Amino acid sequence: MTALSAPVSTAPAPWTCPFCALHCDSLALQPRRNGWQLQGSDCPRALAALAHCPPQASVARPLVRGEAVSLDDALHTAATWLLASRAPLIGGWATDVAGARSAYRLADRLGAVSDHAHGPALTAALRAQQDRGGYTTTLAEVRTRADLIVCVGTQPTAHYPEFFRRCGAGEPLASGPRRIVFLGATADTTLPADTVQTLPLTGDLFDTLAQLEALVAGRPLAKAPDPLRALATQLREARYAVLVWEGATLPAHGELIIEALNRLVGLLNQHTRAATLGLGGSDGGYTAQQVHTWLSGLPLRTRIGPQGPDHDPLRHDTRRLLDQGEADALVWITSFGPGLPVPDTTVPRIVLGHPACPVPAGDVVFIPVATPGLGSAGHAFRFDGNVVLPLQRVVEQGLPSVGTVIDQLLSALGARA
Amino acid sequence: MTTYRLQGGRVIDPAHPDLPEHRDLGLRDGHIVELHPQEAIDHVIDATGCIIMAGGIDLHTHIGGGKVNLSRLLLPEDHRRGLDALALPDNLLELASCGTCTPGTLATGYRYVQMGYTSAFEPAMVAANARQAHLEMGDIPILDHGAYVMAGNDELFLQLLAEGADFERIRDYLGWTIHATKALGVKVVNPGGISAFKFNQRKLDVDEAHTHWQVTPRQIVHTLARALTELGLAHPLHIHASNLGVAGNIESTLETIDALGGLRAHLTHVQFHAYGKEGPMKFSSAALQLAEAVNANPNISIDVGQILFGQTVTASGDSMRQFANSGLAHPRKWIGADIECDAGCGVVPFRYREQSYVNALQWAIGLELFLLVDDPWRIVLTTDHPNGGPFTSYPHLIRLLMDKSFRDEQLSRLHPDVAANAALKSMTRELSLHEIAIMTRAAPARLLGLTDRGHLGVGAAADVAIYREDANAEVMFTEPTHVFKDGVLVAERGTIVAVPTGGVHYAEPAFDRGIERHLAARLRATSSIDLRHRVIGHDELCGCCNGGRLLPAECHAAFGATAA
Repeated sequence: MTALSAPVSTAPAPWTCPFCALHCDSLALQPRRNGWQLQGSDCPRALAALAHCPPQASVARPLVRGEAVSLDDALHTAATWLLASRAPLIGGWATDVAGARSAYRLADRLGAVSDHAHGPALTAALRAQQDRGGYTTTLAEVRTRADLIVCVGTQPTAHYPEFFRRCGAGEPLASGPRRIVFLGATADTTLPADTVQTLPLTGDLFDTLAQLEALVAGRPLAKAPDPLRALATQLREARYAVLVWEGATLPAHGELIIEALNRLVGLLNQHTRAATLGLGGSDGGYTAQQVHTWLSGLPLRTRIGPQGPDHDPLRHDTRRLLDQGEADALVWITSFGPGLPVPDTTVPRIVLGHPACPVPAGDVVFIPVATPGLGSAGHAFRFDGNVVLPLQRVVEQGLPSVGTVIDQLLSALGARA
Repeated sequence: MTTYRLQGGRVIDPAHPDLPEHRDLGLRDGHIVELHPQEAIDHVIDATGCIIMAGGIDLHTHIGGGKVNLSRLLLPEDHRRGLDALALPDNLLELASCGTCTPGTLATGYRYVQMGYTSAFEPAMVAANARQAHLEMGDIPILDHGAYVMAGNDELFLQLLAEGADFERIRDYLGWTIHATKALGVKVVNPGGISAFKFNQRKLDVDEAHTHWQVTPRQIVHTLARALTELGLAHPLHIHASNLGVAGNIESTLETIDALGGLRAHLTHVQFHAYGKEGPMKFSSAALQLAEAVNANPNISIDVGQILFGQTVTASGDSMRQFANSGLAHPRKWIGADIECDAGCGVVPFRYREQSYVNALQWAIGLELFLLVDDPWRIVLTTDHPNGGPFTSYPHLIRLLMDKSFRDEQLSRLHPDVAANAALKSMTRELSLHEIAIMTRAAPARLLGLTDRGHLGVGAAADVAIYREDANAEVMFTEPTHVFKDGVLVAERGTIVAVPTGGVHYAEPAFDRGIERHLAARLRATSSIDLRHRVIGHDELCGCCNGGRLLPAECHAAFGATAA
């Protein structure tokens, strides 16, 4: 029986890229003297992120108001400032599952508001979901059955360079040809031209989708342009249509666009099959959203207030709270790269940051942390929401993880009074 | 470790009918032990006027994984009271966590333990989503946990079955799936139906062919049940049968039992699968037919999935049936998903109403099943949390089962046709404490193969709940005086007093390790996760579960000689 029970996987683990929510996980990464060798992709987003992460131990040290200090001293100062705060805000949340688990404990301990660095985009998706729900799909389904992919107001590879490769664009589909339509966006020129079609908007995105929905529903719409009419027919005739949107590229009130797409999918599902696929959730966005939700019961933009957990997707917005003077201390968590700068504010800031993160002047405690997926192992949610991937430690950065730092900070804060 | 002597109580321990009810229990080093009369004891607990039971075990409760968290995301209203927030815990050991039908994981642990439950099992883990399920369950404090992985709707399984692949290959693939996802069992949900819905099929009867793969639910169920039997899993195939919620679905349910051909299986939330289509509303109770089938087939065990009135949310892997039910959503919103050529999900909020004929009858059907099945060892008390109602309603459900006059009083408040005509009205059976202990502890432990749980014999894990006897069973079972988890006092009179991390149960079946290599190309073709990331290792599982104990269950394979 032992032969049968032996572990099946002996191949070395591949590398999961932590730098966008596609989390491509078939890659290999090797440290080289002057940088990294990435195999399996030439993704510019991954390469740019890796350029900020030298494959050696980091020389970054904790700082208090610009002065190098020991980690203990930095934690002591951070604890002192946080204990004096009456309305703390935990922002950024750019971390892995373990970091998010600890961040929630910190929010609970402090009675803080929590919001992610990509709060506006996450909130658009959340509000559409809270209001009407939706019907979604995942990468493997798209790859094996989507015969029509409509990118609505987004050219996905602009921010997610590996998107179409992960969707299997260009691979044969068992059920027939696959068409990719860009509605109100420029086409990805690397796709086979005969499978691609671009469509301009008719008015703005809101108007276009309203018309498309009416056409799909079969309502007479004399003024509708022919290409949009043709798209409605394509959608109705598709076996499995996938509507792709991207939270970060939506206009103001983007939740109404997402809701319109959900309605469209609902209409199509009465007779054929369709689903939406939302792009977003990078920098730990979906990870934070999921972990905060399962621990507390409520999504981000919640304050663990004295009356109880208070969720408000509009009021608990990082930028608004800082602008209105409604937060008097900020914990900013940004572990994946230097690209999410500390928001402009004068309140005391405790930054758990990537070593290359610019450190602002003023009342700032800076604690450099390991990069998940490079300097520490962990878990992250993929953009399609259902898949959690393991992140690997590939280099000794000599830095603690976000989770470790927060656990130490919680010790420094002591028990609740 | 602290030693306890529990004395003066009435020990309700159905697994040990020979031991006296009035006996002292010793707790030391996490186990029930024989205490020497002269032994120094740290604490003596006077349980006079109390009953003592093993910790409760919920073998079917949706507590972790994608659709549970989607329910939370969909329903912020479940996590506040009108415009007001739900109060913070007044106990420093508890973190803020709230919700009624989909509580946060932290609240899930606290509330279960406060009722005297010490283990809970997620029945519908999607293989592609296994890490999330384990991460979420790892954040449920105190409770031991585990999950059943969903099979029978993954395209690879259906493809193998359609091609007439060797049974051994299919069996090994299932063994590999259990190994990869660290599952304790396997569940099939609407056999073939979730996949069929992706191909735009809207209904699938037991002998109807999947529109693409041309295999039937009958074949799927039989193949999976046989594979699990040969792999030697303690828990037999967990079946969410075809046609959930459809009037007349008793036919599918009986056909599913027939498809098993005598192989062991556990039919879950059978209340949703016991509907006839008699009467003016074309919707009737088929509880008697189903109970007769269960009584006649000793290979079958069930859990009920009782409904209770009020707001809840139905979260299921059955995207086909949830789509069909989505028009009934209350409030009017719902979430569905097709997942990774593997599974699906549907989350539909729902309010069960006393004045609805259908809901009232559903309520009666569940209770009728409890009262008509003869052998309590083959029926488990569940509400299919949260689908029939939240797990916090268990004490109320127990009272309904133990108290005929209370049950009649409730029945009289329902839709008049149901109140007047339900067979339930004439049922006089009242379940005993002994039977309740079987249905909530001893039977689920036995059905899951948890040999050291669900009983209070020497050597058992010291998961213990002490309830003060009360004529009102709901009062009695709402707040135990003491709850122990592995010998640690974790709750006292409704207050959490310690928050240890629970363990994770999973099965370790033997299977031909060559299957991964053999199926590699196909595994890659139907998944977007790198094959090398499909298997959750022990260290990783431990991390997911916050360092909780790993509790592997040995499997006694029935094919060793030939496969080695």
